[in-house]
Amino acid sequence: MSTDDTRRPVYELIQLMASLNETKRAILIALGHVYPRSVSGVQLSRLIGYSGRSRSLYRGVLAYLEQDKMILIDQLTPKLYAIRINSEHPLLQLLVDLCREFGEETRRIYLRALEVE
Amino acid sequence: MDRLLEHAKSLYADRQRVALAAMMVAFSVTLYLFYSPGIYAIPAEPPIQLPPGWVQGFEIVYSFNTVGFFLAFAVMVFMYAFWSWAFLPTPAVNYTSAVLRGIFGSRSQITQSIGKRFRVFLTGNTWIDLTCHIKEPGSGAWFVYRLTSSPLHTSHLEEMAMRHGLGTKDGRLTAWVSSDELHHRSILLAKAMSLAASSA
Repeated sequence: MSTDDTRRPVYELIQLMASLNETKRAILIALGHVYPRSVSGVQLSRLIGYSGRSRSLYRGVLAYLEQDKMILIDQLTPKLYAIRINSEHPLLQLLVDLCREFGEETRRIYLRALEVE
Repeated sequence: MDRLLEHAKSLYADRQRVALAAMMVAFSVTLYLFYSPGIYAIPAEPPIQLPPGWVQGFEIVYSFNTVGFFLAFAVMVFMYAFWSWAFLPTPAVNYTSAVLRGIFGSRSQITQSIGKRFRVFLTGNTWIDLTCHIKEPGSGAWFVYRLTSSPLHTSHLEEMAMRHGLGTKDGRLTAWVSSDELHHRSILLAKAMSLAASSA
């Protein structure tokens, strides 16, 4: 019974991640690992290896992720945004927990990439 | 991007070029037609004391010819806007219906209506509406779909939407979906809808 309760969100999380395209998946994985840090748009596009223009990342990808309540975007200044994963989201909460529990090494890689600037 | 969509994209770009060229020709033809027969000036007092050459020029611009010309041009622009709003290139239609039939079965009822819209009828008087956008002005992404479910009556709609990575609007589940997500996110939407129906 209890395993059912813990495994159902895992199944739903796998389905959710499978339904998103590469860019969105990469964003959620990266943000899940660096949580609770927030990153700027430029940092994010570097983290996920995005080659397009950052404007298209905002309009085409981040705006939709925000609409579906998967990420939170705070506008710090007119040009600077702080992007973080929505840790209140029922499934992404689980992703963040998993990343914290098992993703220490990956997390270090991401954080190092953020530091080198 | 899918091969069919690549094809649709190049087809659309070609047609746009043809439309632009046709519009330039039509523009010069209407310009000739409207100004060659003679100027029908709208009677008006020239505002201040102007030299006679200026008054003549003023009469040409301020005339029924100009009104007619602008009307004709507006009709052309309107037709172009209507064309790009209403029609989806055939390969893209094939792609969309192939994906939808792949998920919902080849016998599922799918209607297509003007304005690049599709409607898939599911069991139990529910349906999914799709609207395709050929090119997003903001991001420059090709073939983006807007999915909307039929109205759902359940109290946990918000949570149900979140658990499937969807948004809500006016008691409906919604999502913006890129062409490569269309397949899997439609499945999730259908699943969320059947959950919502059974929990109501």
